[in-house]
Amino acid sequence: MTQVRLDSVRKQFGNFVAIENLDLDISSGELVALLGPSGCGKTTTLRMISGLERPSNGAIFFDGKDVSEQAVQDRNVGMVFQRYALFPHMTVEKNVAFGPSVRGESKAEIARRIDEILEVVQLTPFRTRFPAQLSGGQMQRVAVARTLITKPSILMMDEPLANLDTKLRVEMRRFIRDLQQQFGITTIFVTHDQIEAMELADRVAVIFDGQLAQYDTPERIYRYPRSLDVADFMGATNIFPGKLLSRKRVSTALGELDCPHQNDRSVGDPVHVLLRAEALDINTGPFTSEGSGLRGRIRARDFFGASVTYRVTCNDQEIDVTENARRMLDVGDDVQLEIAPEQVWLLSA
Amino acid sequence: MTARERRTRILQLLQLIPILSVLVILFGGALVMALLQSLGFAPWFGINTFPDFSYFGSLWGSQTFWVSLWLTLYYATVSTLLALVFGTMLALALIKAFPGKWLYKYLYKLPLMIPYTVGIALAVIMLSSGGVLSRIVAFAGLIDDPGQFPQILKTHYGWGIIAVYVWKQTPFITLAVYAVLLGIGRETEEAAAILGARRGAIFFRVTLPQILPGIVSSTLICFAFNVGAFEAPFILGGGFPDTLPVVAWRYFNDADYTLQLQGMATVVSIGIVAGVILFAYLWVYRRYERRMGRH
Ligand SMILES: Nc1ncnc2c1ncn2[C@@H]1O[C@H](COP(=O)(O)OP(=O)(O)OP(=O)(O)O)[C@@H](O)[C@H]1O
Ligand SMILES: [Mg+2]
Repeated sequence: MTQVRLDSVRKQFGNFVAIENLDLDISSGELVALLGPSGCGKTTTLRMISGLERPSNGAIFFDGKDVSEQAVQDRNVGMVFQRYALFPHMTVEKNVAFGPSVRGESKAEIARRIDEILEVVQLTPFRTRFPAQLSGGQMQRVAVARTLITKPSILMMDEPLANLDTKLRVEMRRFIRDLQQQFGITTIFVTHDQIEAMELADRVAVIFDGQLAQYDTPERIYRYPRSLDVADFMGATNIFPGKLLSRKRVSTALGELDCPHQNDRSVGDPVHVLLRAEALDINTGPFTSEGSGLRGRIRARDFFGASVTYRVTCNDQEIDVTENARRMLDVGDDVQLEIAPEQVWLLSA
Repeated sequence: MTARERRTRILQLLQLIPILSVLVILFGGALVMALLQSLGFAPWFGINTFPDFSYFGSLWGSQTFWVSLWLTLYYATVSTLLALVFGTMLALALIKAFPGKWLYKYLYKLPLMIPYTVGIALAVIMLSSGGVLSRIVAFAGLIDDPGQFPQILKTHYGWGIIAVYVWKQTPFITLAVYAVLLGIGRETEEAAAILGARRGAIFFRVTLPQILPGIVSSTLICFAFNVGAFEAPFILGGGFPDTLPVVAWRYFNDADYTLQLQGMATVVSIGIVAGVILFAYLWVYRRYERRMGRH
């Protein structure tokens, strides 16, 4: 249970700046996701927290104590590497025993803890196997067990689910979540999959080009992205340039829409309007002319089983609308799209 | 076996024929000839007492043979071990980033491209009494006269021989170990550090077991070469009793050509000793590998 704070941390490799003034506050026992596109500096951030890499500037604090000068071995952190980094010449058992053994714990104590931890990760039947004889998910669980047995105060995982197939991924996701709750360890994990970040994390840190773009709860990041980039990365498709007509109404190429009251914007400000695909309702008629109704025609349909996404043309603009697949509309149908004002989100242009 | 499997098998055998024939005819043939001669079969010299163990008998019966054998193994083992230690340290250093690394990576390979004889000449120039090193030490005032410089070459300690072998073979081992290190990457070492292992534990418990294949194959090659090499002990060695390859060379060069057979017995003895040692080494290593779960 450790609280972690990064204070304007910067990392430079030669002339290349990998991380620029990163401030991050992680509460004790929190599960935080570092989310961002490839090369944005997620792994570098983890490596600095673990001590494998030294920040070029700034400081890292564990429970308020500056650990910037502390060696890797003394930080008592745990890290699950992207490619697991298991010791190929050791059995599962030996891999797991490595940490306590180099820390000089007694044989009996190690044996007891191995039994316990292998039970937790459900690897008892595989204890004498070598890493090469395990599946991806099993290797991953060995990596997790090897780390947990050292009772780290911070658990870091670099793309823990990237190498797993869909079914295993769901299983491992639940496993990580349970584990984290069971042990209450401050956990930081890296991902470039926004769904994974939202599903697992208490808070998500979105990083672009070495800079923190937004740090918030999954729901807030999804609904209220602070920038166009974040919205785009979270999978938003319906973003239209617009202009404030009043504090509560905005005009776009689609038509005019009601929006939540804009306190800190003035009338006439250019904005971007974000309409989440699942926040829109499709009305098949009879059509009304009041409210935020946008008239359009279905141009394409993507069926996903539980849900269906329609591509609708409104005033020559294309807009995606997702709804439950309880009914099926056809391409060419005339529709009217409705959206509640509080579901409309404005971004600064 | 299905017809298809049989066809593949035959194709595989066909592919092996060129290399096999070279091995069997050139190498195997020479081996058989050496063995036959050492057992007294040399009709072209007018000698044919086959099978005759007297050549081995007189060789193994003399005490100098055992001294020669000891010297041969001593030079070979010490130089291989030193080259292994230096080579591994160098490879470990090269893996890390440091300023001027590109130059270093180029420089360390230099001895690989310089022939042994040149290396031996360099050793004579540098290390002999009256050589460059003795003059430098004398100039620095550590000794009064270059002649007081301790004898490095031409002693049975073989420091000159060992120096040349180590100089030449350190880069070879570095190259082999470095390649393996690049292959295994830094991640397991980093994982070990995070788990709390200090440098020593990381090296002996994580790195070393993984680079062992590279170490075994490269030291095998160096040791086999060192046991059989002749120029360095011939030029830089301490004289009688010589190492076995030098002994063999003296027999071959003797005006009395019948001594060729004695020389062959010496060569075969070298082969037997080297073979036994190398196989024992490999056997121990294989057992270790199996314990590590590799096959
Ligand atoms: N040792 C290094 N030397 C030079 N540049 C580096 C080094 N390590 C990382 N970088 C650079 O820093 C940037 C961030 O790298 P990092 O590995 O943190 O990315 P990432 O966010 O983890 O990406 P991915 O999702 O692809 O793993 C990259 O552009 C990378 O090329
Ligand atoms: Mg990464």
